[in-house]
Amino acid sequence: MDSNHQSNYKLNKTEKKFLRKQIKARHTLLRHEGIETVSYATQSLVVANGGLGNSVSRSQLLPALEKCGLVDALLMPPNKPYSFVRYRTANEAKKAYITLNGKEIVDDLGQKIILYLNFVEKAQWKELGLQALPPGLMVVEEIISSEDEKMLLESVNWTEDMDNQNAQKSLKHRRVKHFGYEFHYENNNVDKDKPLPGGLPDIWDSILEKWLKEGFIKHKPDQLTVNQYEPGHGIPAHIDTHSAFEDEIVSLSLGSEIVMDFKHPDGVTVPVMLPRRSLLVMTGESRYLWTHGITPRKFDTVQASKGHKSGIITSDVGDLTLSKRGIRTSFTFRKVRQTPCNCSYTVVCDSQMKGTPPSFPGSAREASQLEQEYVHRVYEEIAGHFSSTRHTPWPRVVDFLKALPSGSLVADVGCGNGKYLGINKELYMIGCDRSQNLVDICRDRHFQAVVGDALAVPLRSGSCDACISIAVIHHFSTAERRVAALRELVRLLRPGGTALIYVWAMEQEYNKKKSKYLRENRISQGKEEISSGAAVPESLAEQVPDVGSQDAAGCVAALTDLQEGGGHASTVTKAKLPVHTNRTSFHSQDLLVPWHHQGKPGKDKAVGAAGPRDPGPVFHRYYHVFCEGELEAACRTLGHVRLLQSYYDQGNWCVILQKL
Amino acid sequence: MKLLTHNLLSSHVRGVGPRGFPLRLQATEVRINPVEFNPDFVARMIPKLHLVEVPKGPIEGYEHDEKFLRQMHHVLLEVDVLEGTLQCPESGRLFPISRGIPNMLLSDEETET
Repeated sequence: MDSNHQSNYKLNKTEKKFLRKQIKARHTLLRHEGIETVSYATQSLVVANGGLGNSVSRSQLLPALEKCGLVDALLMPPNKPYSFVRYRTANEAKKAYITLNGKEIVDDLGQKIILYLNFVEKAQWKELGLQALPPGLMVVEEIISSEDEKMLLESVNWTEDMDNQNAQKSLKHRRVKHFGYEFHYENNNVDKDKPLPGGLPDIWDSILEKWLKEGFIKHKPDQLTVNQYEPGHGIPAHIDTHSAFEDEIVSLSLGSEIVMDFKHPDGVTVPVMLPRRSLLVMTGESRYLWTHGITPRKFDTVQASKGHKSGIITSDVGDLTLSKRGIRTSFTFRKVRQTPCNCSYTVVCDSQMKGTPPSFPGSAREASQLEQEYVHRVYEEIAGHFSSTRHTPWPRVVDFLKALPSGSLVADVGCGNGKYLGINKELYMIGCDRSQNLVDICRDRHFQAVVGDALAVPLRSGSCDACISIAVIHHFSTAERRVAALRELVRLLRPGGTALIYVWAMEQEYNKKKSKYLRENRISQGKEEISSGAAVPESLAEQVPDVGSQDAAGCVAALTDLQEGGGHASTVTKAKLPVHTNRTSFHSQDLLVPWHHQGKPGKDKAVGAAGPRDPGPVFHRYYHVFCEGELEAACRTLGHVRLLQSYYDQGNWCVILQKL
Repeated sequence: MKLLTHNLLSSHVRGVGPRGFPLRLQATEVRINPVEFNPDFVARMIPKLHLVEVPKGPIEGYEHDEKFLRQMHHVLLEVDVLEGTLQCPESGRLFPISRGIPNMLLSDEETET
């Protein structure tokens, strides 16, 4: 079809439809990816719908492209639904444009898809810098022969303790078996006093001896965990508990290769290919500091040219393709520690951090450090998962926003994933959040957002007609900082402007009615927000709280706190912060609330349904939950404001302030 | 980052106060995003802008000057800065804009009072 032919020619229905789709592809590329197409012929084309991100592999696309001319390069950026092709001459590109536009090909999943081609000025992709393997990491290839592989795989008896329930679960989640010591996923540790009878299966004795002799491992392990991953299974990123196991951790991959992602706390991610029958050895930094995980998916992006060699997956998009996963069984050997860990990676060490457990901060600096560790770092890690559980806007916040006059400038301080930024199209809203990853999500949704701190909001004073701060201020660990955050909101407002503030309430039972947070638990078929056992309330209750005497004492302390001019409650200096049990009432105002992180939740949200064996890493978030009257009292310490409304909503205390 | 957003952003380096505005913008990558023109909306935004270099306010009757409003609409809402820097006019501190997002975070030392 020659779509350049546009004179008096009347396009038929199919042609019109095709043209529409091609234009749509053009717009999508521009809007979402910043790829500008041009209407004149060049050497380079963008092939929409022909990308690794939509299951089209190099081996399918390249032959089709080569039929039209000499291909200089085919760039297939990972996870993108498009590719770039550069031909030797513009004429050849033109031929491809004419021949392949609207052409149907079959993807890796056997589905038919239609390609849409458009000319681009340049076929370019920003390349990442060269990466090195995480320090202490080694992959030994072909360490087991094919015959031994078969024998070892057959030696695992999966059915012996499988009842119907477990069998069902194993369809959605990887299968696990332990030898030597049982690994408990609830606390990510082993019970050192209760070794499992039988130790490691005899079949491994000679193999481990061999590995020791040849220097692949330095110590004889006494714990073995066998994991079986079907395509689509994964394991969330984690560090093996320092106090549980010694330095060396080795893992044998049989049955299939896989790509494992290693991530450094600074954010660098290194994808590493673990070929079939290879041994992964993690020591030092790669064992103690980097997290490792497997993304739950059915295809891995791998290097096209070198095939299935171990090492880092190249970032050269001219050399990537898809590899369909097979069933991989991993055998992870570890040596149980009998003494506390004394590594040099103290920030991530549970033995050494125990000596300095998170406690009530005694200074602004301690408060800042506490928040860095138990708020900011956590949100950066869980951003994606968190965002997927935060999609239902609370009605009364929506009401507040919809009641604002058209053309109002509104700041959302602590905007998170931008849930409220698009509620009222008549407003100009700017989001501000501490988490880069959450702000990225706002950007993906085409909202205006900046990375900034709620204690120093980067907007000019008096510029906003209104502000909202929903479920934010309860993350500040001293009364002083909480008031400072309120003061910032007031600073942003023009005279007459209003601010809506929501904070988590200590009282989760109000007017004899339990909040949704308490009512729903993991067993129930709750909404998506709670299927993963996530902590934050998204509930619907109103009226008078039912405060126990213990709670009241805590609340009184908080209120006197404010009257004494902020700082911290001296009565609880250096008290340890308790860890809260999700879905129960609060017994302390200052606490750590667990978040059970899941990797990318699958479409069926099955990962959360895995139950107690689910080995997702647990993050602790710091909260100061407010008791009745506390938020109001804090607002009253501010100058130039008037309290317009004060109410309880969905397990939160709420106020609307007006700047005078 | 739209230019309307830029007009609201301010530096919070310790001690700069109101002199942290306007941030000097250096854009290395800009994109134009078509946005539906809403004359009322644009007219309402104009008085909220802090126009430092313009000595007088906009001409009287600007609310009905469609040409003017369309120009402002384009500049304020359709220009999107994807990459660049913002510089605090008082302290010189640079804030990066990356993938359309300004990062205004200051280090602890820069905010300590």
